[in-house]
Amino acid sequence: MIDTVDLKKSISIEEDNIIKEIKSESLDKIKLSYKKYKEEYKYTPLLRNIEKKYGSFNSSENIKKADSYKDLISTKDKHYIVILNGSYIENISNIPNSIDIKNIKDLSKNEQNIFIDSYSKIDDSTDDIFSSINTILHSNCLTFKINKSTILKEKISIINIVDSSKPTYFRKCFIIDKNSEISFSEEFINVTRDGNFSNSVTEIYMDENAVFNYFSTQNISKNYHFNSINVFQKRNSTSNFHTYSFSGSIIRNNLNIKLLDKSCYANMYGFYAIKNSSHIDNHTSVDHIDENSISNEHYKGIVDDGSIGVFNGKIFVRQRAQKTNAFQSNNNILLSDNAKVNTKPQLEIWADDVKCSHGCTVGQLDDDALFYLMSRGISRKDAISLLLSAFSTDITEKIADKVIREEYQLMILKELEDLNYE
Amino acid sequence: MLEIKNLHASIGNTKILKGLDLTVNSGEVHAIMGPNGSGKSTLASVIAGREDYDVTDGEINFQGNELSDIGPDERAREGIFLAFQYPVEIPGVSTTNFMKTAVNQIRESKGEKPLDAVEFLKLMKEKMKLVNIKQELLSRSINEGFSGGEKKRNEIFQMAMLDPKLSILDETDSGLDIDALKIVSNGVNALKSKENATVVVTHYQRLLDYIVPDFVHVLMDGKIVKSGDKNLALELEEKGYDWIKVKN
Repeated sequence: MIDTVDLKKSISIEEDNIIKEIKSESLDKIKLSYKKYKEEYKYTPLLRNIEKKYGSFNSSENIKKADSYKDLISTKDKHYIVILNGSYIENISNIPNSIDIKNIKDLSKNEQNIFIDSYSKIDDSTDDIFSSINTILHSNCLTFKINKSTILKEKISIINIVDSSKPTYFRKCFIIDKNSEISFSEEFINVTRDGNFSNSVTEIYMDENAVFNYFSTQNISKNYHFNSINVFQKRNSTSNFHTYSFSGSIIRNNLNIKLLDKSCYANMYGFYAIKNSSHIDNHTSVDHIDENSISNEHYKGIVDDGSIGVFNGKIFVRQRAQKTNAFQSNNNILLSDNAKVNTKPQLEIWADDVKCSHGCTVGQLDDDALFYLMSRGISRKDAISLLLSAFSTDITEKIADKVIREEYQLMILKELEDLNYE
Repeated sequence: MLEIKNLHASIGNTKILKGLDLTVNSGEVHAIMGPNGSGKSTLASVIAGREDYDVTDGEINFQGNELSDIGPDERAREGIFLAFQYPVEIPGVSTTNFMKTAVNQIRESKGEKPLDAVEFLKLMKEKMKLVNIKQELLSRSINEGFSGGEKKRNEIFQMAMLDPKLSILDETDSGLDIDALKIVSNGVNALKSKENATVVVTHYQRLLDYIVPDFVHVLMDGKIVKSGDKNLALELEEKGYDWIKVKN
């Protein structure tokens, strides 16, 4: 069981009464979350590693001046949001007029109520221990409000900087109003020499007809990283998630989508190419609550050296969710004898008129294909690159925007060059 | 061009080739015939450098170089081409992209400049005509969802693109109807010259009506047991492989 003294202390100094209440509720649930931890983190010993490394979950205050991080910003995107150890750094960010970013505590009472209504529903739906710890210990919940009928075609970069010897907490809450469409890409950058633990929880509330596109790149070799994204969709809304992971001591991604209404559409795509001793765990769930919704999920991974890939995909189809279409698959290539993959699809269906499928594969590079390519004069190294990048194409081709698609395809090609194959 | 001496090859513990000799000179067409399991496809794969097979004895010389330590990619660059009996389907890689990579890697190894997009397209268009293959097919994933005939035409298209010195056609007639057989054979014949050579591996005489061999060899139990001219193939067709077994 984890030590709750620090957690209690952190709640006691919280000044905002409503937030204090939310934090206290999470603390009450810690015991239950811990029970669930053993099953939910069977292949990913994140808690043990964090406790061993830090002894406590407490975070520390920022020390350096925000300007000193300016050089870290390298994005092709016109608009970007810089967040340091959880705090929004406005003076080195560049956001479009149509978005408003504020700490939840700085909102007017009226605005605050809108967010409080949604805020921290995640603990109800997941009982995840790291989400609960985030709720208790984060000091800045950044709110993003996308107003009605806002359509932004260009994606916005979210650059999260981690600079602390203690655990860091990132908390975001998005409200995407009716008929809006918006795209974000997100990455975490560690600037400390040693690894770090970053714990990030994001809640996304999508109103009717909203479209939300999200791209995540994870390349944080020495870090422990927990990233939980929780999505609540209303009627006719569409979410598209693309998660690309390349390195991390342990990365745990929780992606939980609740399709609350009729005719929702959710797409979850992921690709991981990991080596050395990286450990990537993708846990996803999609909950079909009402009729006529569609969810597609496809994760693919290449696992090299002694690295470990974990995939767990849950699909729930509630009794009311007739005419549901839910598809899921996970395919893996192991490039070394020491590489490991644990993959588990889970379906729970209470409705009777549904189409669902799931499947997973773990295999090796196809020797026949390799010989075929080489027999035409292509070197072994290039033949392998061709095959591995071909393996990734059915994930990247799901990115609808051509410019973004090519950006990610190029990124993958570069990462694949570094893999070893004998 | 190709000189094989006392070749022994095995896969796992199974010995397949047991002392095979074969000499192929420029400008010649050789047919290797033999019953199922005699080692025909193994011979084709071993010449192309497939690493699943162990060459336990003997040697393969190609244009004066011993091939045993050379991988399939380098053999291809030296001018060896294998048309596969079962062309491999590779999802996610288009034939166009595949051929562009292959042609330019071969050119680079010879110290030639890689072809730019326009030059490559021109070369491709020219070779496509040879086997009546459509560009749409080549922009799809390699062999994925191709019919049997399309796969074999794609093999000969690749052969035309790479312009090899030695082409080995492994059971290229299998799975082909008579029209496709004609297209494929015409392609092969059009590529024939005094500078290159062709080895046709087949167990039916039918293909040899279209691609006429200068020499016919009968492969049985890992060895060439009889050689002759094209009439040997006709005789085999009439009398069956048992005829040779009895004679030996």
